Amino acid sequence: MGTSVQVTPLCGVYNENPLSYLVSIDNFNFLVDCGWNDHFDPSLLEPLSRVASKIDAVLLSYPDTLHLGALPYAMNHLGLSAPIYSTEPVFRLGLLTMYDQYLSRKAVSDFDLFTLDDVDSAFLSITRLTYSQNHHLSGKGEGIVIAPHVAGHLLGGTVWKITKDGEDVIYAVDFNHRKERHLNGIVAESFVRPAVLITEAYNALSNQPPRQKRDREFLDGIVRTLEGGGNVLLPVDTAGRALELILILEEFWAQRNLGYDIFFLTYVASSTIDYVKSFLEWMGDSIAKSFETSRNNAFQLKRVKLLINKMDLDNAPIGPKVVLASMASLEAGFSHDIFVEWASDVRNLVLFTERGQFGTLARMLQADPPPKAVKVTMSKRVPLVGDELVAYEEEQKRLKKEEELKASLLKQEESRASHGPDNTNDPMVIDTTNSHAPPDVAGSRGGGYRDILIDGFVPPSTSVAPMFPFYENNTEWDDFGEVVNPDDYVIKEEDMNQTALHVGGDIDGKLDEAAASFILDTKPSKVVSNELTVQVKCSLIYMDFEGRSDGRSIKSIIARVAPLKLVLVHGSAEATEHLKQHCLNHVCAHVYAPQIEETVDVTSDLCAYKVQLSEQLMSNVLFKKLGEYEVAWIDAVAGKTENHDMLTLLPTVSKPPPPHKSVLVGDLKMADLKQFLASKGVQVEFAGGGALRCGEYVTLRKVGVASQKGGGSGIQQIVIEGPLCEDYYKIREYLYSQFYLL
Amino acid sequence: MASTAQPASSLKRRDVPVTREGDQLTIIPLGAGSEVGRSCCYMTFKGKTVLFDCGIHPAYSGMSALPYFDEIDPSTIDVLLITHFHLDHAASLPYFLEKTTFRGKVYMTHPTKAIYKLLLTDYVKVSKVSIEDMLFDEQDINNSMDRIEVIDYHQTKEVNGIKFWCYTAGHVLGAAMFMVDIAGVRVLYTGDYSREEDRHLQAAEMPEFSPDICIIESTYGVQLHQPRHVREKRFTDVIHSTVSQGGRVLIPAFALGRAQELLLILDEYWSTHKELQNIPIYYASPLARKCMSVYQTYILAMNERIRNQFAHSNPFQFKFIQNLNSIDDFNDTGPCVVMASPGGLQSGLSRQLFDMWCADKKNSCVIPGYVVEGTLAKTIINEPKEVTLMNGLMAPLNMQVHYISFSAHADYAQTSAFLKELRPPNIVLVHGEANEMGRLKQKLITEFAADGNTKVLTPKNCQSVEMMFNSEKMAKTIGKLAEKTPEVGETVSGILVKKGFTYQIMAPEDLHVFSQLSTANITQRITIPFSGAFGVIKHRLEQIYESVESGTDEDSGVPTLLVHKLVTVKQDSEKHISMHWAADPVSDMVSDSVVALVLNISRELPKVVIESEASKTEEENEKRAEKVVYALLVSMFGDVKRDENGKLVISVDGNVAKLDKQNGDVESEHEGLKEKVRTAFRRIQTAVKPIPPFAS
Repeated sequence: MGTSVQVTPLCGVYNENPLSYLVSIDNFNFLVDCGWNDHFDPSLLEPLSRVASKIDAVLLSYPDTLHLGALPYAMNHLGLSAPIYSTEPVFRLGLLTMYDQYLSRKAVSDFDLFTLDDVDSAFLSITRLTYSQNHHLSGKGEGIVIAPHVAGHLLGGTVWKITKDGEDVIYAVDFNHRKERHLNGIVAESFVRPAVLITEAYNALSNQPPRQKRDREFLDGIVRTLEGGGNVLLPVDTAGRALELILILEEFWAQRNLGYDIFFLTYVASSTIDYVKSFLEWMGDSIAKSFETSRNNAFQLKRVKLLINKMDLDNAPIGPKVVLASMASLEAGFSHDIFVEWASDVRNLVLFTERGQFGTLARMLQADPPPKAVKVTMSKRVPLVGDELVAYEEEQKRLKKEEELKASLLKQEESRASHGPDNTNDPMVIDTTNSHAPPDVAGSRGGGYRDILIDGFVPPSTSVAPMFPFYENNTEWDDFGEVVNPDDYVIKEEDMNQTALHVGGDIDGKLDEAAASFILDTKPSKVVSNELTVQVKCSLIYMDFEGRSDGRSIKSIIARVAPLKLVLVHGSAEATEHLKQHCLNHVCAHVYAPQIEETVDVTSDLCAYKVQLSEQLMSNVLFKKLGEYEVAWIDAVAGKTENHDMLTLLPTVSKPPPPHKSVLVGDLKMADLKQFLASKGVQVEFAGGGALRCGEYVTLRKVGVASQKGGGSGIQQIVIEGPLCEDYYKIREYLYSQFYLL
Repeated sequence: MASTAQPASSLKRRDVPVTREGDQLTIIPLGAGSEVGRSCCYMTFKGKTVLFDCGIHPAYSGMSALPYFDEIDPSTIDVLLITHFHLDHAASLPYFLEKTTFRGKVYMTHPTKAIYKLLLTDYVKVSKVSIEDMLFDEQDINNSMDRIEVIDYHQTKEVNGIKFWCYTAGHVLGAAMFMVDIAGVRVLYTGDYSREEDRHLQAAEMPEFSPDICIIESTYGVQLHQPRHVREKRFTDVIHSTVSQGGRVLIPAFALGRAQELLLILDEYWSTHKELQNIPIYYASPLARKCMSVYQTYILAMNERIRNQFAHSNPFQFKFIQNLNSIDDFNDTGPCVVMASPGGLQSGLSRQLFDMWCADKKNSCVIPGYVVEGTLAKTIINEPKEVTLMNGLMAPLNMQVHYISFSAHADYAQTSAFLKELRPPNIVLVHGEANEMGRLKQKLITEFAADGNTKVLTPKNCQSVEMMFNSEKMAKTIGKLAEKTPEVGETVSGILVKKGFTYQIMAPEDLHVFSQLSTANITQRITIPFSGAFGVIKHRLEQIYESVESGTDEDSGVPTLLVHKLVTVKQDSEKHISMHWAADPVSDMVSDSVVALVLNISRELPKVVIESEASKTEEENEKRAEKVVYALLVSMFGDVKRDENGKLVISVDGNVAKLDKQNGDVESEHEGLKEKVRTAFRRIQTAVKPIPPFAS
């Protein structure tokens, strides 16, 4: 029978929380998306923590926090250890997004949910796929094929198609059907009649103004502010929609030849754009084409300047400017600080391009009417001085001592246990505290050394006497003398990866160094916060540049995809309910909108079995071509194949096949038929009620029109009426010619 | 509506053939068959046609450089796949697209497409042939750009049921090996490939599926390459010693492909050797400079090493390499390294520099790749005493000449290891000089002799290779029809839907569920003037049809007749009757007969004399049927006799078949005859026996 499919939401149903769902296909557990919000609230991940160890594969669909933010935390704290799949841009931009998140947090708080190393190690296990690459899973998932498809919205955005035994499960959230400046839209034709469609109701109630009008208002608003001497702040995400906005601004500035500065300010701005420049394969047709014909890379930015720390912005020439800064939520990052600085000036404009996450400052400001004043916390990391520094150092010293002691004890036990020649580690170099701050390593190591010699003169009970570390060079001997390791004598291949090794040992690539050193500096520092109330005098505008399909298009796309079963997730309760009702009425009878941790079984009740079509049967089948399909009626007898493991269909030999009711195949459109009849010289016109009057007497009518294909009965009912006359037969003949008879 | 409700299977029945035409897969090299250059390979299977590559032969010009396109009908080709941008693989594409009837789709990778345009535009500009000999112009190239579609590595595309995807080939940036899947039969075309990773490209991947046929290049035949690091060391050593002695180094190289690899080596070498950093490296190719942005962009098509370096800085933004537009800008003052095209030293900048430097023994010339027979580069490899300069004078050849091959083609070790792992049952060798190819073939045959099943073929140009693939057709029965899996011997009837090469069998009601097709019911309603008594019609109908049921219409209460369980006749008014039925060939026929009958009554034509057919006994019917059957069989088979059991004995050409008239069983030694007799009998029976009313 069909493949068993269960869907369990872990986060993000009936609200706009981050997305995370468990999809089990024949007991193979996929975690699709692993999102977190800008508050990094661990309670959201509780459902995930309960199932994390059972997960067999993770699929990521977009490079933003809402879709992959929890990955580092889940990998390092929740026991998630499955292979991860994503497209190259989702991997790369997702990584940058997480860096930006971490650095923004670390700058203002003692953020400890994950470290940069956690991010790196989590992203290391990602397998990168290209669009419509059919990746065959092995092992437990044998027989399952996963394939990412274009989704629009963000660069590298993915609609996942999971196929087993010819049945498709489609996971499509946040997709966009429109072509944008840098992205192609979703191709709904690639997903026809899947067994299950998992989609979201996020935008089910929203309607977008025409793109051109929206773009014009957007640019007018910005230009007006600039001309009035104000600054414009666009709170954006790290590497997602920001790209589209940059292109819009870049294009407009070039067109108008405007002199105002535009800055793109995130901790990773320059690496983001560097990578994006090499992702042309993943972008829209027009960008690819412009590069192919004129080698004109759209992300070779001429107007937008890339900044990676706030000082550069402060040093920029005075005067009206546009700043795109992360995070979009205004909860942290540069956008937060800039907002606080600029909010009190009436000339300034804060332009939101996406709906703020629930409970964030951005969401508060998007309320109607906007608040007059908001309370914000300004935090800053300051180096420790005076007593604090001394106290800190003492504490560190103590900690280090303890660790050293522990380590050396451990070492000794180990060496006692193994006592082999492989023991060549120097216990002096154990240094767990400063693994990613090279400049400090040397110093602290020296310190540690002194500690042991001077302060830590407590010889472990088992040791003989304090002495310089000395290791006996044990050599093994056998009957032929010293054992020779052939590897020692191999002439080393000249390593062309030398350079690669010292630059790319870590996958993180270039963190913008100034910013990184500022944060990663292990100089003792602390966070100082003070609450202040900001008078919001600047203008606030919200415009939808999220690049998601709107309600109407979502409905029509769902209808076009026509899934056999539909699961709705992500979106306010109201939107979910609305879309559910709509789909029940117009698309299919099986619509589910599960609650968190509620498992819905969407196993298809489809019956199917495989048969072999014997050569004898096929040689007598005459296909009729209908578009991309070919159809024929067959009457056959079931038999066994030669090796007796399959059914085969043989032609009926012994008796004439039983007659069957003939079937008319074809999709009749009244308008097309009208044209066809007119071209044959028949007078036709539409009469009332959808009837078509042909000639003088004959009427054609489609009754019980099933407008939704696949919904309800898909069989068209056509009535032809008329008196006995020559016309009648002629028109009937024409009508028949629109169909194939089987 | 002329067709009948008979199943399509009885319309056209052939003797069951052992193989069908569609099972034959044909491969014809239109170029690069036992030669190097103008790669073009034609493949057709099950009515689907694929063309691999579309190059020109660099040694010829004009039409004679093209592959043998006359051999095939370009309009039948569904897909054209280009492996990489080299002229011998892609340069006849504008001609093929613009000047032939080809209307299919063209695919290549992103980097290939970007470089293809630059390279061909340059090729058109520099080729010095007359206008008539020009195969295409710049406009053709620009037009062709619109028709080329792009494919990324591993991306699966489907055109007309042909599925294909590609793997990295390691030869040049964007080079691909294409795997084509037609109805489950897989063909791998390697194009030019290299299994050795170098500084910027990945090695050719090992496909995860074993193909049924592997069309593979054989440029290097049974030769073996030096290991990469040895070559690199020789290369850098030669350059280092030359420049440190105050000499100049000339590297003649084709502008794109391997040149970028050499530049990476030089740039890295320079950055690790401080003492060299005041010695300039010039790269003299405006074309290559234009292509640099392509190399700087498509980092994803390169190897992990470059991608990691990219995190730091773009490795294709060279620090020590300067561009040189022409010899006029060149200031020949001291030691330097110049890389210039063309690679064969035929003319152009590399030749100018060669003429200037060849007499000085401090200088060196490094030839970094495969050189074509007949060029100066090939000549100087043998280190003659003297060479002819471009101005016709002779000059002594004192400069040192080194041949260090960096060309990224697989050598024998790579080819045999690749094929051993891939295990394709059929290997077709292309793109290799005939002798080299012959040696490779021999060696492969001995190597694979153990399994015995591997065939190695070396077709010449236009020589076709045919192979048979008995593909099993599998269908999936779904929906209502599949609620119960049938036992052996049960019948399965439904609609067979074919899309591409997948088959599904389903009940007509499910058609709209599982495909985008929909079904329709047509209800027909026709009014006929009739003023007689309704009873008359009923009486007449009963004489013709077995089943005439009378009833009353539920809405209007008028009497109705249901004829043959299909057509309803209703008395609408005194003057009219109406008929309605669902369109169907049988119902249409019944309705026609009813119409004829009603018209007959109303016209009061001479009464149809009704023979008392009804009174005819079953027996008589049987007898008559038997007579007809016998007569028809005689007319078909000639010699038909009755035997004592009432069976009919049919003998044709010495083969005898016995037919039991009661149940249609046929006994015969000869299968073909048996089948024929059985079919004939069944058809005769359907013709002779009365039409039974439908149960449905």
